[in-house]
Amino acid sequence: MHHSIELAELYVRLGNVSVLQGVNIEAKPCEFISVVGANGAGKTTLLKVVNGILKPSQGRITVLGYNLSHYKNLNFLRKEIGVVPQKSNSNRFPICVEEAVLMGRYGKIGLMRRPKEPDWDKAYEAMKAVGISQFSKKLVPELSGGEQQKVALARAIAQEPLILLLDEPTTYLDQESRSEIMEIIHTIHHQRELTTLLVSHDDQLVEQYSDKIYLLKEGKGYLIK
Amino acid sequence: MSWIQTLNFPFMQHALIAILFAGIAFPMIGVFVLSLNLIPLRFAMMHVALLGGAIGLFLKVDPLLLGLLFCILSSMALGPISEKMKLGVGILSGYFMTLTLALAFILIYKADIHVLEAFNILWGNILSLTILDLIIVGLISLMILIMVFLFFKEIQAILYDREIALAVGLPEKLFYYLIIFMLGLTIAVSMRMIGALLIDAFVLLPAMAATLISRSLKQTFFFSSLFGLLSGMAGLYLSFVFDIPTSSTIILVASLIIAGCFLFRRRLSGYEKVR
Repeated sequence: MHHSIELAELYVRLGNVSVLQGVNIEAKPCEFISVVGANGAGKTTLLKVVNGILKPSQGRITVLGYNLSHYKNLNFLRKEIGVVPQKSNSNRFPICVEEAVLMGRYGKIGLMRRPKEPDWDKAYEAMKAVGISQFSKKLVPELSGGEQQKVALARAIAQEPLILLLDEPTTYLDQESRSEIMEIIHTIHHQRELTTLLVSHDDQLVEQYSDKIYLLKEGKGYLIK
Repeated sequence: MSWIQTLNFPFMQHALIAILFAGIAFPMIGVFVLSLNLIPLRFAMMHVALLGGAIGLFLKVDPLLLGLLFCILSSMALGPISEKMKLGVGILSGYFMTLTLALAFILIYKADIHVLEAFNILWGNILSLTILDLIIVGLISLMILIMVFLFFKEIQAILYDREIALAVGLPEKLFYYLIIFMLGLTIAVSMRMIGALLIDAFVLLPAMAATLISRSLKQTFFFSSLFGLLSGMAGLYLSFVFDIPTSSTIILVASLIIAGCFLFRRRLSGYEKVR
């Protein structure tokens, strides 16, 4: 069985700073992997590398069996990767929840094609899975931080990905909402048989949900669970 | 002479047709500018056009045409260059703006070009549009409308969040460059119509008003076009009635629409609070 995500001897430089220095991480299909570390440890950089947004200076990245260095255009692969960013810059124009979630389908729908009924169905299923169906007509900026985070999660789920990347999904939430979001993520991970890679600074929160936990420290990755 | 009688004059017919096209299509570009924070690009294009105009005067070629050509070329280059240099379009626009202005001044000084002649490119006149101008305005307006219609969902994702557009597998860079290119074209044509200094009347102000009262991107596009058309037509009519400059009147009407939208929004939010 090939790994869903495999990072081998990964080095990443941002300007003059070596952010990652020889990181090795493996995630088998359906595994829930967490990467923990302090702020600035390179967790977000790691996710951007997996999604092909940043290129490493050295090392091999294999995602779903594809060696990323062999491809110039990775849009075909990104359609299989759902991303939940730490915080979206999405308050520039008003958009309601159902449209924001439907956006997860846009890559798979194809250029110049309109969303059809099955796409809407998938968006509604995703909203139901994360518990935001009742807000479907509300504007995203009118929601609380936790609800907005659920919108981002629903969008990633509506994409029907094979891999889910989550960047600090609980950062701006209170304790109760953190546990709730983590429970939802864990349930969806199992129900949809996803490979999940979550980065967080809170190692205690992710402990009970993760199959493996890596610690990022001084540019290196250490397997701690 | 009555307002209706003036419509017999070709220059008035041209102005009306131009407003009809530009009033509907150009504010859509304004929505891009506001959503992607591309305001510095507008200033850069103005100065690029000035350099083109100065070179045109020096080479004895139509300065407006050369200004338009320079805008097209620079709007095609700006996106990819900013990506390669890892600089934001805003920062690069600042660089282009000052560099082209300096080059234009050197050329104006050395080639002994009359300064006012070079700066003429910055003041347009909607009442002096030729058939060729109308064709260009019409074509660019159609291009904008077709782009928004065909690629609405791609544009929606990019305006919402470029990172999300990329993450869901859309060719985000391609569309971003296309938006910058269309912005360059629109600014170049607007300069001919109403002058660089009053471009906001057609491009930005209706979009600003629309964002105040809309609840979706579709509504934002719809209201920006409606307000663009309304301010253009009303501005043209009022400038005739009160014998004042057309471009400035269009701006005044657009500003009043913004004030109206602002009050409408306040009233609406006040009503929602009470409810």
